[in-house]
Amino acid sequence: MANIEALRRENDELKAELALVRKESTQYLQNVAHQLTAPLGAIKWSIEGLTMVGNVSIVKRQKLLSSIYSQATILVHLIKNFTLMSNLEVDHELGQFREQPEPVDLLRLCINLASDFQPQAADKGLKINVDEQSFHDIPKLKEIKIVKNLIAQAISNVLENAVKYSVEGSTIKLSVDKSDRVELFVESVGIPIKEDEKDKLFERNFRGVSAQQAVPAGTGIGLYLVARIMKLHKGDVSVETNGKKSSFIFGFPLKALS
Amino acid sequence: MSKKKTILFVDDEPSLQVALHAFLEDEGFECISTSNMTEAWEVLETTHVSSVVTDIMMPAGDAFPGIDSSETGYHFIEKLRKCFPNVAIVCLSVIGDQGKIRHLKKLGVLYLRKGETPLGTAVKTIKQKTTGIYEG
Repeated sequence: MANIEALRRENDELKAELALVRKESTQYLQNVAHQLTAPLGAIKWSIEGLTMVGNVSIVKRQKLLSSIYSQATILVHLIKNFTLMSNLEVDHELGQFREQPEPVDLLRLCINLASDFQPQAADKGLKINVDEQSFHDIPKLKEIKIVKNLIAQAISNVLENAVKYSVEGSTIKLSVDKSDRVELFVESVGIPIKEDEKDKLFERNFRGVSAQQAVPAGTGIGLYLVARIMKLHKGDVSVETNGKKSSFIFGFPLKALS
Repeated sequence: MSKKKTILFVDDEPSLQVALHAFLEDEGFECISTSNMTEAWEVLETTHVSSVVTDIMMPAGDAFPGIDSSETGYHFIEKLRKCFPNVAIVCLSVIGDQGKIRHLKKLGVLYLRKGETPLGTAVKTIKQKTTGIYEG
């Protein structure tokens, strides 16, 4: 009898767990739909606007074209994350990279990424500053061995968040330092991150309370992917906060420089 | 010359409205953009607004703590209906279950689905809702 009772309890617990997973999965799909529909809707309307009968002034045409470009950039970034999600799961099971790490100029990569996010940053009056001297101080960074596409996506995910959550008019700073490992810092001033949220930030589907309040729609996979990518590079990612200031730190092993 | 009618937009992703604003401005309306319920409320308290076009999923902002951001628009519309009964309301969103949409319609809210409503239709229906003149 006791066994049957225990089984019944276990069954109830599993049912509750399943209901929770279903609810989370519905919310997640709703979120993804929202994330994809918004930029696609903007592109569609801009194209409709460009083809409307009547006078479409040069200024308006420029505005609509620029909107199409920036929304398409957002979509490409989003879809890259979804593709990475499935690829990285397989790579982790295999414990190896799909592409082999090769020497990459980290400063050039950071400058290019900062430039990619410049239009979105400018809309909020933000500056993205790459501290070039800190990179020059570590000459070997010009040939750090990494998988360029993956690290680019990881830095992009953190930069995208920084742009999204930063206080208007503030500066986002990228710099590097070297001690017993190489560290890349992305610093910004935005919403505070609670102490108990710091580790959870890198869990799949987790979004901090303040982040959800500031920007309701989000996939919750960006930072999870960053952690996965860094782990594949035998490194890690962490966050340090001080009030509204936060610093995401990408740690690479010194071996990557050799 | 008659004074321009003002349309207040509330959406945390204003990029979607670049085209909408451009064509409504051509029609002679003034468009004001806000990105959360708090900002929108500040405008409503200081500016005469003829209509409001609002999203559902958006931040509430500092003045309205405790609102679930996935439902901010519903709270905003209820409050708007109560405090500014003469302001026309259009809901422009990708989400909203049928029951809630029916409720919004009962409140006199026009619901347009983001990403599905053609731009021309959106411009025309927002114009009609704002002016109260239905033609064609």
